[in-house]
Amino acid sequence: MRSVRPAPISAFLFLFLALVGTAGCRRDDPAAARVPLVRVWCHQGQEAENQAMRAIAAAFNAAHAGRARVELTFFPDFQYNEKIAIAAAARDLPDALDLDGPLVARYVDAGLLAPLDAWFTPAELADFLPTIRTQGTIDGRLYALGAFDSAVVLYYDRELLAAAGVEPPPAGRGWTWNEFLAACEKLHASGVEPVAFHMNESADEWFTYAFSPVIWSNGGQLISSDGTSVRGVLASVENIAALQAWQAVFKNNYAATDPVDPDPFGSGRTAMDWSGHWMAPSHVRTKGAALGAMPLPRVGARSVAPCGSWCWGVSAQARHPELAALWLKWVTDPQHGIAPIVRANGAVPARRSALALFPEYQNLPYRLFREQLETSAQPRPRTPFYATLTQRFAGALRDIARGDEVAGRLQAAEREVQAVIDRRRPAAAPAAVSSSP
Amino acid sequence: MTSWKKAQSRAAPWFLLPALALLAMFVVWPMLRAFGWSFTNADLLAPEQARWSGLDNYSDLLADPRFRRAFGNTALFALLVVPIQTVLAFLLALWVNRPEPAWRWLRAAFFLPVIVSMPVLAVLWTILYQPAHGGETGLVNAALSLVGLPAQAWLRDPHLALPAIAAMSIWQGVGLQMMVFLAGLQGVSRELLDAARIDGATAGQRVRHIVVPALRNTIVFVITVTTILAFRIFVQPYLMTRGGPGNSTLTVVQSIYEITFLSQNLGRACAATLLFLLLVGGLTLLQRRFTREERT
Repeated sequence: MRSVRPAPISAFLFLFLALVGTAGCRRDDPAAARVPLVRVWCHQGQEAENQAMRAIAAAFNAAHAGRARVELTFFPDFQYNEKIAIAAAARDLPDALDLDGPLVARYVDAGLLAPLDAWFTPAELADFLPTIRTQGTIDGRLYALGAFDSAVVLYYDRELLAAAGVEPPPAGRGWTWNEFLAACEKLHASGVEPVAFHMNESADEWFTYAFSPVIWSNGGQLISSDGTSVRGVLASVENIAALQAWQAVFKNNYAATDPVDPDPFGSGRTAMDWSGHWMAPSHVRTKGAALGAMPLPRVGARSVAPCGSWCWGVSAQARHPELAALWLKWVTDPQHGIAPIVRANGAVPARRSALALFPEYQNLPYRLFREQLETSAQPRPRTPFYATLTQRFAGALRDIARGDEVAGRLQAAEREVQAVIDRRRPAAAPAAVSSSP
Repeated sequence: MTSWKKAQSRAAPWFLLPALALLAMFVVWPMLRAFGWSFTNADLLAPEQARWSGLDNYSDLLADPRFRRAFGNTALFALLVVPIQTVLAFLLALWVNRPEPAWRWLRAAFFLPVIVSMPVLAVLWTILYQPAHGGETGLVNAALSLVGLPAQAWLRDPHLALPAIAAMSIWQGVGLQMMVFLAGLQGVSRELLDAARIDGATAGQRVRHIVVPALRNTIVFVITVTTILAFRIFVQPYLMTRGGPGNSTLTVVQSIYEITFLSQNLGRACAATLLFLLLVGGLTLLQRRFTREERT
């Protein structure tokens, strides 16, 4: 037996690995190679939503044949933000990308996004809902625009309320917290589950998104207005009072913590549902004319609604920024972008001219979504520390719902978030000498 | 013969080269990068702007109450899991170590949780641990009430959440260690066991004086692997409690994940990972010192 010749085998192995490594990058279509390619990243939603996105991209490519070609890449939404972070570290961001609204401030802080002001006329911008513009505006400049927004309302079953002797507020108005608790008390006594809070949501974001309005309605905030400090803000007197009011719902067994019913109106045993626009189609179907919707109850003087959703930005490293902006205009165009995606995901159209395409916005509950976004909705805080803030705040809300003492739990969350902020300060301000001991 | 051997040793580096190159590229180089970054304030989104910060990351982490809590929780978890899981796996292996085919089913049943995906098991056990609400209650509490014990809010009670997750993890992982012990048991000398039986040794004596010494290396291996796996705990608490209530089920890996992807503080994350590596590596070495393998 002769000895083996290892060098060729080794070379073959390397060649094989190299080929495998580059196989994904090969493109053989010579016609397509001449047209500038716009790389676009997108989070994966429901299948209908993904198909709508693909159709929107196909229509863009057809309309811009010879000028630009969009290549859409989907990533699972539970690790989408991690994917962006890794790509940013590797300087491998696409030209345009889909972003989670509250995280835009962090990407701007790290210099990943290019401002959009130059690409949109004031008239075009005025057509967008104010909440969408605010969500994408960091330090006075616009960095992100979305095709849709979101809404949370208090849905209710008129028949169950009437049976319990509860009078809903006049159309377009919400309850004070005491009125809300009194209604819960009557419903509880009548033998139904008063309200669903969806406390089993696995995503931290549900808690911050859905229940920050309770704090805001009492004049509180999650973080200072400039987004750089939670000291004395997160555990403020206003926030403690607001969340004590919120906790009363659980202490009195008006809402379940777990197990909970994912479709509270499906069983017919729950009278009210604190939930988002995504429940509207199934609630309308289940309850028909018996379905009512009101703004969220308020602890203090004004009722506040949450808002915000996925939106689009242009990478600061984009090879074709003008074409990426063209894509943004296309996905936020009422006919080409907003109508198809909103038909697929049921979110609230982000432009007034697009709202006109949806007749259901004349009726409840949809009418209320729009009213809220025009008047009383508040975006989540725009701060580079949002990811940590929302996680720790959500943890505090979970514990408070389960009976933790409110002030102490909020103070613990405040300390933890502030510690994370303090650690980043030297990097944020180059003048600083060293970190505090 | 010698020329053949020479050719072999000349050829060896070429065969090693692909593996070494891949190891260097995907293990050694990243670890060196991480080591370098751990002394900087590197931002995950802009690592090229990193500036030297000395030992700040390390001293900060060691002083951070949240990170210390994570270490404490993880150590407690390992302390609960390693002895119980090892002993249980050993006893199960002794029990199912029979040649009749029917026992295969029992072995398979104990091994099944190992191959089921952890997220599925986490959801399942969250339901099993559910406290009573209205007419519904989790199976665990239902079983407790059958024997007259009060229902517990397993995953919501700061004192019970970690032990509850440990119990679930033991149930999930014990099958793998049982298999390792079973394999080891096949090497125990039949003759010795039979001779001991004839000499009047009880079952307990045979296990203590013949089986355990014969399985010494297997036991060392199982303890080492279980310790490493226990310290890497992440999925179960992350899915079942998100580290709560309070920070009572926060683990080291979860806090490394948070530092990396929520605070996006790459320098600190690298420091935390290296501290973690140091701890697990040190513990493993310590264990091997005290439970030295026998080489024959």
